Amino acid sequence: MRRSRAPMWLAGAVLAFLWLPIAVLVAHSFNASRFGGQWTGFTLVWYERLFTAADVWRALANTLVVAFGSTAIATVLGTTAALALDRYRSRLQDVHHLLVHAPLVVPEILLGISLLLFFVALRLPLGMTTLVAAHVTFCVSYVTLVVLGRLQDFDWTLLDAAQDLGADGWTAARRVLLPLLAPGIAAGALLAFTLSVDDFVITFFVSGPGTTTLPLRIYSMIKHGSPPIINALSTLLLALTVTTVWFSQRLLKEAR
Amino acid sequence: MAEARGLFRPRDERAWSTPSVVWLAVLFALPALVVVAIAFRSADPYGGIGADWTLGTLGRLADPTMPALLWRTFALSAATTAICLVLATPTAYVMARCSSRLRQLMVLAVVVPFWTSFLVRIFAWKVVLHPEGALQRALVALHLVPEGSTLLYQPTAVLLVLVYTELPFAILPIYAAAERFDFRLLEAARDLGAGPVRSFLGVFLPGIRRGLLTATLMTFIPALGSYIVPDLVGGPGGEMLGNRIAQRTFVDRDLPQAAALSMLLALAVLLPSVLALTRSRRRTLGTAGAGEAVR
Amino acid sequence: MKPWIVRAALVTLAIVASLGCAKRETPVLHVYTWADYIKPEVVQRFERENRCRVVIDTYDSNEAMYAKLKAGATGYDLLTPSSYQVQVLEKQGMLQPLDHSRLPNLVNVDRDYLAIAIDSGMVHSVPYMLTNTGVGYLRSKVGELEPTWAVFDRSDLKGRMTMLNDMRETIGAALKSLGYSLNSTDSLQLEQAKDVVLRWKRNLAKFENEQYKGGLASGEFVVVHGYNGDLMQARAENPDIAFFAPREGLSLSCDDLVIPKDAKQVELAHRFIDFLHDPEVAAENSVAIQYLCPNSASYDRLPADFMNDPALRLAPEVRARSEVIRDLGSDLVKYTRIWDVIKATP
Repeated sequence: MRRSRAPMWLAGAVLAFLWLPIAVLVAHSFNASRFGGQWTGFTLVWYERLFTAADVWRALANTLVVAFGSTAIATVLGTTAALALDRYRSRLQDVHHLLVHAPLVVPEILLGISLLLFFVALRLPLGMTTLVAAHVTFCVSYVTLVVLGRLQDFDWTLLDAAQDLGADGWTAARRVLLPLLAPGIAAGALLAFTLSVDDFVITFFVSGPGTTTLPLRIYSMIKHGSPPIINALSTLLLALTVTTVWFSQRLLKEAR
Repeated sequence: MAEARGLFRPRDERAWSTPSVVWLAVLFALPALVVVAIAFRSADPYGGIGADWTLGTLGRLADPTMPALLWRTFALSAATTAICLVLATPTAYVMARCSSRLRQLMVLAVVVPFWTSFLVRIFAWKVVLHPEGALQRALVALHLVPEGSTLLYQPTAVLLVLVYTELPFAILPIYAAAERFDFRLLEAARDLGAGPVRSFLGVFLPGIRRGLLTATLMTFIPALGSYIVPDLVGGPGGEMLGNRIAQRTFVDRDLPQAAALSMLLALAVLLPSVLALTRSRRRTLGTAGAGEAVR
Repeated sequence: MKPWIVRAALVTLAIVASLGCAKRETPVLHVYTWADYIKPEVVQRFERENRCRVVIDTYDSNEAMYAKLKAGATGYDLLTPSSYQVQVLEKQGMLQPLDHSRLPNLVNVDRDYLAIAIDSGMVHSVPYMLTNTGVGYLRSKVGELEPTWAVFDRSDLKGRMTMLNDMRETIGAALKSLGYSLNSTDSLQLEQAKDVVLRWKRNLAKFENEQYKGGLASGEFVVVHGYNGDLMQARAENPDIAFFAPREGLSLSCDDLVIPKDAKQVELAHRFIDFLHDPEVAAENSVAIQYLCPNSASYDRLPADFMNDPALRLAPEVRARSEVIRDLGSDLVKYTRIWDVIKATP
């Protein structure tokens, strides 16, 4: 039976479309022309400039501090939330379900402005603490979702068996539940980390003095037309991402 | 459902739930209420929140430029969603039917661009659509656009970049549903005489309807609230509700108006969200036991 | 988990933690200013001489800066608002008086400028850079232009022009093109100005405060409304850029250094202000950012072609028709209403 080839062409076109701007970006990071309109020659000067751009590296440091901090908190909150939602059925859990899922369907701008107005109303100074708090708030739901997904296929009889063998609640948790749940928790943490690193809108609304993160810096650089350094930075980040993904794929294969 | 004694006793429910419930109640629900409250305050002329309660702020929402703004926001979001669904469905279909190795590669091909900074991808489009760039020159040479015009700073540019940024969010849920679809149903339909289009529309699409619904929500709602894309590539004619909220907050320093507009956006988002949330809760409760029809 | 992953993670965390610690040991001066408004080498020299770090956050309009401050972004030690915005901040009690005993270089400030300045006693503010607006354009694309605001009526340049996303500047330009004062609070004049801007808006790509210089240099735009120093900086990137000062008159402004009331590093902020008015530093900074610092002791250190650049030195008749933007107090709402309509009308 002949299958139509049309979907394949369309799928290919869509994937090409997804990669088109990426390809342009990478190409232009080596373009000697400052403005990206035309190609004027191959150069590595933008990469050199990138390495001396102290403000970019400071922004990256801020981003990492916020990301690690918020990921740590969000992972703990998300895991306990997932366990609660999976193990219990009650009015409390209905409310809990709503609270956890609502941030997922709210546009970022609403989350950003509600947090800003909240901090303003409480007269809290905007700084690293409020920024981390904001990031945790939008990350928790994603961690919960990932861990919940993992819990749906979870074999609870293993935990029962451990307890039958004499382990008390906490030992069973530490030596059976957590290790089995670890891949799900790690996946949730990774997702939270990614979301925090790339967040712009919410950070833009609640940032204060000295909390310029990398996306904020990039936005400012876009506005000033320092394009080539951004291209170089993006190419490096992309290379880093691809390497990390390839690496983790290898690790997963070995783990199996 | 196995009871994990000692760890998940009924009296432990509070302990497991408290951290996340408290956090989200304080930092998500409470701020939402604060936004509603601030929408009922007057604006202080020097910026900030005024001292008195008033309905005037909400009243100012009825300004003559609002309907056009709301319509444009809705239309662009709807168009983005529609285009994304049309492009994503065949792509997900192809991905789900591929061999395992090719499939993994395709999933990565969809996800990896998403791993680069969101801002940077939009910026890349500014380079592609640049008036001095290769694309523009090609279009001028083909007499498709007049010389000296620009592709940027128009609603079409906004639509294009919105589709680009939302597309992975459409592809992945549909792919997740397609992966679970039993393709033998399609073969059966063909055996019964249905043409490829008929079986696609009549068998495949209904079979992945949950994925289609998720994709619609995950595309439509962020598009409604988008503000960066119209800010960077849209011109004066491409303003969306999100831009106005940002403008009120950062430029006009009219926080109560920003709050009022946010309420408006929240209402627009509320209806599809409530539908989705109640369905998902029923689904979670349901899978504890029976499982679903199309799995 | 593989042990080396654990080790790598611990090392990363340690590095990140140490970055956090390093921040706490050296004093940090938080500066909130316009983008590209201080020469980086000048900042680094101050950091070295005072063993501190200077963190610079930027804003693209006085209103945006003010909104951020009102929204709780405390913790800034130094700001550079325009003079009229300084008036607003002062009225709101958001600034602290300057201690002149810590600012010996204030004697270098240009007396002629102080004579017309709003805060001529430098009680709360010290002038930093003089600015004026004007129009930048690409010679190769539009030829030599007539120096008039009416350039924005040119529909053949539709979609390739920008004006400032600043209601005082853009409505002010319209008022000037009609022959009125740009500090006018007359409703009829403002209505007329609104119509002019709406007419211009049809030819604009967007209202933009920062991207216009990169956009002009890259050819994304061909005619932009902007600040003279920014356009001169852009000209260094692309020599095809030219500047004109519209003959109907334009807006003059001075950005001032001020210290917010809740600043933490008051001593360091004073030192920075004094540093910026050291004649050598002022000259170096001026040339780098292409704006003129009203520091008379620095004038003889400035190159002649900089001092005589038409973007900097306005022709006397243009200068006579130009005005300093002043705070309008509660009348400002008239401008806000018009600007809303302008922004919202497609």
